[in-house]
Amino acid sequence: MQFKQILLYAVFSAYSLVTYAQNYGSVRGYVRTESGEPIPSVSLKVQGGSIGTMSNSSGFFTLQKLSPGRYMLHISGVGYPALEKEINIQAGKESELHITMREESIAMESATVIGRTVVQDRNRQAYNVTAVDAKQLYNTTLDLAGALDRVSGIRVRESGGVGSNFNLSLNGFSGNHVRYFIDGIPMDNFGTSFQINNIPINIAERIEVYKGVVPIWLGSDALGGAINIITGSKQRNYIDASYSYGSFNTHRSVINAALTSEKGLTFRLSAFQNYSDNDYKVKVDAADIYTGAYSPNTWVRRFHDTYHNETLISQVGVVDKPYADQLLLGITLGQNYKEIQTGARMVSVFGAWHRRGNIIMPTLKYKKTDLIKGLDVTLNANYNLGSERNIDTVNARYGWYGDSKPNGSNGERSRSLYKYKNNNGIANAMFNYRIGKKQAIALSNVFTTFNREGTDPLNPEVQENEEKKKSQKNVLGLAYNFDEEDQWSISVFGKHLLQNNHSGSRATTTNKLGYGVAGTYFLQPDLQLKASYERTNRLPEAQEIFGDVENQEGNPDLRPEQSNNINFGISYSFALNPNSKFMVNANAIYRHSDNFIYNRLNNNQSKLIADNREGVRTIGGDGEIRYSYKDWLSAGATITYQYLQNLQQYETGFTGVSPVYKDQMPNIPYLFGNSDVSVSLRLNLGYNLLYVHAFYLYWPSRGGDKLDIPQQLSHDLNLVYSIRNGRYNIGLEGRNIGNALLYDNFSLQKPGRAFYLNLRYFFNK
Amino acid sequence: MKPLQTMIAAFVAAATLASCSKSDSDVTPPTPDNPGNYILTVTPAASEAVADYLLTASNLDAGKISTAGNGIEQDGTYRYYVTHNNKFFSMLYGQGNPGAVTAYDIQDGKLNKLTNFQTETVQAFEPVNDDLLLFKISRSLTSPLSNWYKVNTNSLLITSEGSTNTLELTGNGELAHFSWLKQVGDKVYAPYFSIKGGNFATDYPDSAWIAVFNYADMSVEKVIKGDRTSFIGRYFRDGLALTENGDLYGFSAAVATDGAAFNSTKPSAVVKIDTEREEFDPSYFFNFEEASGGMNITEWLYLGNNTFMVLASTKEEKGAYATGKHVGIINVVDKSFKSVSGMPDAASIESLTYNNYTPKDGETAYLGVNLADGTTWVYKIDASTSTATRGLQVEGGRLTAIQYLP
Repeated sequence: MQFKQILLYAVFSAYSLVTYAQNYGSVRGYVRTESGEPIPSVSLKVQGGSIGTMSNSSGFFTLQKLSPGRYMLHISGVGYPALEKEINIQAGKESELHITMREESIAMESATVIGRTVVQDRNRQAYNVTAVDAKQLYNTTLDLAGALDRVSGIRVRESGGVGSNFNLSLNGFSGNHVRYFIDGIPMDNFGTSFQINNIPINIAERIEVYKGVVPIWLGSDALGGAINIITGSKQRNYIDASYSYGSFNTHRSVINAALTSEKGLTFRLSAFQNYSDNDYKVKVDAADIYTGAYSPNTWVRRFHDTYHNETLISQVGVVDKPYADQLLLGITLGQNYKEIQTGARMVSVFGAWHRRGNIIMPTLKYKKTDLIKGLDVTLNANYNLGSERNIDTVNARYGWYGDSKPNGSNGERSRSLYKYKNNNGIANAMFNYRIGKKQAIALSNVFTTFNREGTDPLNPEVQENEEKKKSQKNVLGLAYNFDEEDQWSISVFGKHLLQNNHSGSRATTTNKLGYGVAGTYFLQPDLQLKASYERTNRLPEAQEIFGDVENQEGNPDLRPEQSNNINFGISYSFALNPNSKFMVNANAIYRHSDNFIYNRLNNNQSKLIADNREGVRTIGGDGEIRYSYKDWLSAGATITYQYLQNLQQYETGFTGVSPVYKDQMPNIPYLFGNSDVSVSLRLNLGYNLLYVHAFYLYWPSRGGDKLDIPQQLSHDLNLVYSIRNGRYNIGLEGRNIGNALLYDNFSLQKPGRAFYLNLRYFFNK
Repeated sequence: MKPLQTMIAAFVAAATLASCSKSDSDVTPPTPDNPGNYILTVTPAASEAVADYLLTASNLDAGKISTAGNGIEQDGTYRYYVTHNNKFFSMLYGQGNPGAVTAYDIQDGKLNKLTNFQTETVQAFEPVNDDLLLFKISRSLTSPLSNWYKVNTNSLLITSEGSTNTLELTGNGELAHFSWLKQVGDKVYAPYFSIKGGNFATDYPDSAWIAVFNYADMSVEKVIKGDRTSFIGRYFRDGLALTENGDLYGFSAAVATDGAAFNSTKPSAVVKIDTEREEFDPSYFFNFEEASGGMNITEWLYLGNNTFMVLASTKEEKGAYATGKHVGIINVVDKSFKSVSGMPDAASIESLTYNNYTPKDGETAYLGVNLADGTTWVYKIDASTSTATRGLQVEGGRLTAIQYLP
């Protein structure tokens, strides 16, 4: 007998010990697919009565206080044909019911394009959401950032190899316009040891990308969109381990495991590690540090770019208890080491400057659906006790050849042993109350705090280190949803945002209100329209106000951004014949932002700094098309165009119209796309193409002899061979196989051709 | 609806929305360039994060030039410009980072890039012989070494480098920060202000110092000290000038601070340095503050014939890093001050350019004037009549330097 079934049986036996009032009976059970996968959110209704429930995330359900007798139970869920089952309730007894649902094969078939199957459900929300099925990428060496780069409308800009800084843009919004969540918990303050550029894809089950309006249950003050990483594993007992090795001495390993006892006691562990020398070749103007002479277009190897991080996430708690579907106490422990090869531009070379950081973060997660009937509650809290240290102690000037010469007594850039704690914490609470089947009210509150404290033994006299750097933020949201399933749904919401900042002796308080509406309409079951409007607020982030001590300079004068966003989307799925299926998505956006927040180079070209533009208008669109043939061929392409226009008419200090009024915003990629083809037989073969159109570094209308970031085209290939039904997997991956020059973030070069071998073991019981 | 139709409709909708934006942009169309031997550097007024543009002009007295589709883009905006040895140097100020320098000459009225080379980011640079002498100056008491570099303007390479302990130089527990450098014979005079650290505060606001370097080996031979003014020059500004007969004059802006407020009791004044005895000349003192009715000099430009164009600010406008908006003419021999007429009133001026051009004929200066209404002009200053006349218009932002290459 399967372990799972023994376990279930044990669980049910335990429950049966609980006696009910003798007048009533109850029924418990679970819903799963033919292949044994649990199905959450399945509605179970007793016909002719008001009693009903939904299956939880593990597919379990209970129906209580049923008068004895025979009933028909109506079972329905998106993507599965409705079922009816007879149940026989006996007084004082609890009966068991195991339901197996067939995946929809008639009406829904045309909507099921492989590559998106598991995540179809999410895509049917009123919000403009794209869900990426992370499991399909488990045999790759991608981190979350790499996976996101393949989504239409998204462009992840990295400043180099493994562990380098990244900046994600979503429909023209970038940096902290886009917020990251992990299981609905804001990732704002997780520190450098735990970010989307160092979390492997295998941690995630799926990634939801919200463009424009972000649902209230994600709280926070996202403006351009949000990315929610869902880790919640459906399997109660499993182990998933992978190791990869590749170019630039890159090692990555990931272990994910969960162990759940019969009584619902659970232990979950995720551990991962990244190591890379990042010693890829770059083409630079290499200076002779003694004479200053440049050798233009010289190929040199990066020599001071080693990065490694090790992170352990452990959680212990209970699942599927009457008082909690999930109650987990955990701790995230991690550390990272990062050598800093260049400044914000590649002309600044460093050979010893580095950073060390760690994360010590206790976490609490609580989740209960139907705490009282219809009320779902989620609570999360975490506090990061970790610290970071900026180490620049070598008084030398390095050149691209790795040589150095003494350079006074002020370190490489600025002598420092600054060690600091950001003391950041997050607490959020979410309540969702369903009124009947169609209506729901959601209330959420997110509180975050940041208080940087640090000292620098080398610069005790630097007052800046002693200054107060504190930021607290609270976002309260309320939403109302009406959902006429598979016909239309609408969501109306409002948010109150409050931020208190202390920068030195200066204190500022911001109070803002935001609101919006999002709706979707199904013209026919597989043709969906989505539209939304939102008045949003984006509050400055602590890192933007106070800097990151490295290549991001703080800007205490940064103002909150407000914008009016309108999104419109259409998606359609159809089949030419039972074997050839298509899915088409198209979205259009219009945004008008006041005090648009964007990253620019500081005046010295040495760091990036967040700044405001009084007005920026974004008009854009993105499209996606996917095709699948039977279940072995899948192909798709995405394209994104976004036109960001400067609408700041007057510059500070001037009364006349600015020379760059209505000019296109510089240094933002505006046309990009990708396409992929994968063939999955016993051998899985995939190809991915990434294209970014050339763009200007500075204002496009100014100057005749201009600096630009040239067009970029890169090809990735991967090959996966699986045996024993996916238990053992061997993957081979080639990235940028054309060895194209790829640039990012103000012309920082990325790695050339690279190969990786990935071994993965997956075991599930 | 048929599948294919829907698909097409969706894409058309997206494409229409995307493309209609293009027609919406009505940025200034490109303007023709204006070949000539004057070089004008322009920063788009749009906050920062922008590049400077190098433009040329054949005549500063009239006409119009623009950066719209025109000009050589310079990477970064904290740029400083100097001409020496028939070359124009564009230097990036990159703080702790190395700075790239691009050298140009002029051919047929167009800038021609000679080479890029790398130097450190420096706070003072000045032609000495065939070199540019650069000084990267410390502002941290715990790391008191300040580095100098000699860049040969023929080979365009750094030929030697070394360091000076600028904490030991003062002997008062503060750091010496050179305001600028000036070649006097085979010496380099480096006036400095005394600072406690990065906030540039001092407990010694009522003294002036000039370090005298032997250029050959850059050893400090002497520190000239005076107590009648605050320090000579100011941050990033050349406060010394040599006249045709070899007299050396210096101005004090009187802008020393204790970190919060001005703390010098001395007036903004012009002093003379006896280069034979290497002392301030006790017999010479020109109290500018008194002569101008309470203003202080923020920068000056030597026009020849003992005549200077000065930029000055009033007591209310005074700032440690503020470029004055009032233009005057002084004669250091007569100790006379005249206000220049014909300038736009100070309220309508956004800023004046500090890096200006003079043919050194004793009476002419070309001054960059950035008006608050967004227009920028070169004004021709005639010292003989103390008048200003509007000349070349520059479209596209703030004028940051006016230079000339033969």
